Amino acid sequence: MSERAHTVTITDTDESFRCGEGTVVLKAMVTLGYRGVTSGCHGGGCGVCKVRVDEGSYDAAVMSRAHVSEAEERDRVVLACRIKPRSDLRLSVVGGIGKVIARQQKKFGLV
Amino acid sequence: MGVMRIGHINIRVLDMDAALAHYEGVLGLTRTAKDDAGNVYLKGWDEWDKYSLILTQSDKAGMINIAYKVENDADLDALGKRIRDYGITVDDLPEGAVPFCGRAIRFNLPSGHEMVLYAQKEMLGKAVGVTNPEPWPDGLKGAGVHWLDHALLMCELDPEKGINKVAENTTFMRECLDFYLSEQVLVGPDGDIQAATWMFRTSTPHDIAFVGGPVMGLHHLAFYLDDWSAVLKAADVMAKRQVKVDVTPQRHGITRGSTIYFFDPSGNRNETFAGLGYLAQPDMPPITWTEENLWRGIFYHTGEEAGKFTTVYT
Ligand code: FES
Ligand SMILES: [Fe+2]
Repeated sequence: MSERAHTVTITDTDESFRCGEGTVVLKAMVTLGYRGVTSGCHGGGCGVCKVRVDEGSYDAAVMSRAHVSEAEERDRVVLACRIKPRSDLRLSVVGGIGKVIARQQKKFGLV
Repeated sequence: MGVMRIGHINIRVLDMDAALAHYEGVLGLTRTAKDDAGNVYLKGWDEWDKYSLILTQSDKAGMINIAYKVENDADLDALGKRIRDYGITVDDLPEGAVPFCGRAIRFNLPSGHEMVLYAQKEMLGKAVGVTNPEPWPDGLKGAGVHWLDHALLMCELDPEKGINKVAENTTFMRECLDFYLSEQVLVGPDGDIQAATWMFRTSTPHDIAFVGGPVMGLHHLAFYLDDWSAVLKAADVMAKRQVKVDVTPQRHGITRGSTIYFFDPSGNRNETFAGLGYLAQPDMPPITWTEENLWRGIFYHTGEEAGKFTTVYT
């Protein structure tokens, strides 16, 4: 039996993939080999997978307030590892601290 | 006298039920207490004190504090004085302020991480007892980890601004708490920036580690396993339970341990770590890893950054 699935599109990279209603968006993305959103802890704790849901509806699980404020969450800014689609979704990358770090040129090997 | 070993770590979790399913079912820790505030206390089967992990429900992930056990009650006064003389504020905590523990002292490392020292904790005993014990108990769940082994703390490092909390912590731990340096990573044009250190008080290569990053945080807490086959089995447990694995089983060059990095359901990184590496002693010459070899130090086989080692932590 296959679950109901929706199409998730990442605006920044123009990637689209299918994600079941019972599946977390970030998990579906990495499982299918896409990389548009930075993948980290998959637990809602590290903040690297921060996105804005520009279109579509979703269910969100609890996520770290260190990375997504209540106001942001009301504004549909969420962690991609904490949402499951209820319709087709269009996301744009907001990026938490991890995105900033990932984009920095490492100068000393570690930082 | 002085610090004996890591005592416990208190971490924040976003969902207590999911956290317990992970720390009991995947790691194999045992729940030993729950307090009125809802904090849950757990221990490994091979540990004798009442707990080594405190889970606190919160709206974010990360570490609240890390505690080390000292040998004698008087060590708390002696070490407290040294820390104050070093210029760091120390809080004296009465018996019971750290749950199930005697009096304690609390202070912040130069990096900002909160550390607690205590001399006494309620004792439950190992799961196998002390009289003609079996080598392991029946009924272990998941990976069946033995004990909390160490933690790695991310410390602010920005050499261009002259900020190096790794070096500051390392100096503090040596001068105030008599920790010894087993290994270090030196980077920069002159190879003189201490970007990561591993320090010990036991006879194993590390009881704590510090790595430089853009902001302070918890990199991982690590639990001990016997050997490589236990590490492989732990990875099977994680795959079976669909735990988010960061780095699959392999060897660290630094400490020589075999490892898995993975995340708890709130995004806190865990490690299962096997092998005592080598005998660490106060007179052992510290090992240095250079910038171009630092990733061989961290992931020995590939020599490259694996997983999200530097960019993802709580
Ligand atoms: S991957 Fe860490 S919060 Fe989503
Ligand atoms: Fe470790």
